[in-house]
Amino acid sequence: MTETQRGCPVSHAEFGTDTEIYGHYSLLNAEREKARFQFNDTRPRGFWMVQRYDDIVEGFQKHDVWTTAVRSALRPDLGEPLLPQDLNGQEHAKLRRILNQFFAPAAVKRMAPMARQRARELVEEVRSRGECDVAAEFAIRFPTELFLELLGLPVEDGEFFLPWSEALFAAFLAGEPETAAVAKKKILDYFDAAVSERRASPRDPAEDMVSRLVEARIDDQPLSQEDILTICLTLMLAGLDTTRSALGYIFLHLAQNEADRKLLVDDPSLAPAAVEEFIRLYPLVMQVGREVQQDEEFNGLDLETGDVVWLGIGQANRDPRKFPDPDAFVPGRKGGGQHLAFGAGPHRCLGMHLARLELAVALEEWHRLIPDYRIKPGTELTERGGQLTLPTLPLQWEV
Amino acid sequence: MFISIDANKCTGHGRCYTVAPDLLSEDDEGFVAQSGQTLAIPEALLGQAQEATEGCPEGAISIRQSSAVDA
Repeated sequence: MTETQRGCPVSHAEFGTDTEIYGHYSLLNAEREKARFQFNDTRPRGFWMVQRYDDIVEGFQKHDVWTTAVRSALRPDLGEPLLPQDLNGQEHAKLRRILNQFFAPAAVKRMAPMARQRARELVEEVRSRGECDVAAEFAIRFPTELFLELLGLPVEDGEFFLPWSEALFAAFLAGEPETAAVAKKKILDYFDAAVSERRASPRDPAEDMVSRLVEARIDDQPLSQEDILTICLTLMLAGLDTTRSALGYIFLHLAQNEADRKLLVDDPSLAPAAVEEFIRLYPLVMQVGREVQQDEEFNGLDLETGDVVWLGIGQANRDPRKFPDPDAFVPGRKGGGQHLAFGAGPHRCLGMHLARLELAVALEEWHRLIPDYRIKPGTELTERGGQLTLPTLPLQWEV
Repeated sequence: MFISIDANKCTGHGRCYTVAPDLLSEDDEGFVAQSGQTLAIPEALLGQAQEATEGCPEGAISIRQSSAVDA
């Protein structure tokens, strides 16, 4: 007899632990096909798994009832404040309107020449060695430098900034508040100095994000220094690990699938379409959480105020009801752009266009200089649970 | 044929003007500049209109026979 909660099947699937590579995508697929909705009891606050594409889009769009009071179904009571995502409704929209212009495609294009140059330099640094851990030595350094550029800070600061951000992110995911606090203080002090410098000598707020945050008014009130620092920290937490992780899966796929790699090497103009399909196929944020604000029935699922909902991004992106042959890599697939890797609704990822640019530029520049490579023989690869990544990905090539 | 963009659903993914650059454009915030509008589709751009509709994660875009606003 199937175990049920309020008439809904119960799942014991654990998504927070390390697995073999691609282990989570298999698990996500399997759970989605068991039932339209499931109640997962692996956490003290269990969560209601919304697992199929159409339901997940609808869940993202009912943002007024399903709010970001919970951001992750796996860690619903995480206290770390994030902006703008902790806000909802009009408050959220007002802050997004200040930030949007710095993440619009036109703004992102202004960063492209710098991104291309840094990508090329970073690849050149490792090329002569004939091997590197692409996750640690390229995939995280590149987005960290672009993040500093976005804040108008020297990219050379990446050298000391990167160990801080890595320490904070690791402690943040592992639920180690004391270790996190030490790293966080160093980062906030660094941001604090930068924001204060910009207060003293503002730059053009149309092009410089920190200057814009300093001069911006919401309902005639300036943003507090604390909120500005929280925004900077949020952009860091949201943008660095995700980009590193996306590059990890892309390089893993291309190392293992020579025909796909050859396609990109022969025609670099395919990079944007390939990136879009990689993002669909390998979403790193496999789920987000939401908290239900009123009792209601959702497509046959009985929900109560305070329930935690899981929106299974990783399940939507490979839902065969939406994407035919969903586990296959098909760049330019019809309707592929409707994937939910960046979420949907008003909270959709602010940095989506920057991420697309970074990934496409990294792909193009890497393959221009290192078109052939393989996973270092004897390597045992693992996949981190929670928010997916490949902690290491050692590659080798002929010099 | 007409293409119609629902401003209440659009959250600025930017997929539509990426696949339909001759029909749609972006505003300063990265949202489609034609949000909330219903536009006639030139015959030659029907394919782009179709792609924009199929590429919107919010389902904010529709193609319709007339420019009449829904009641």
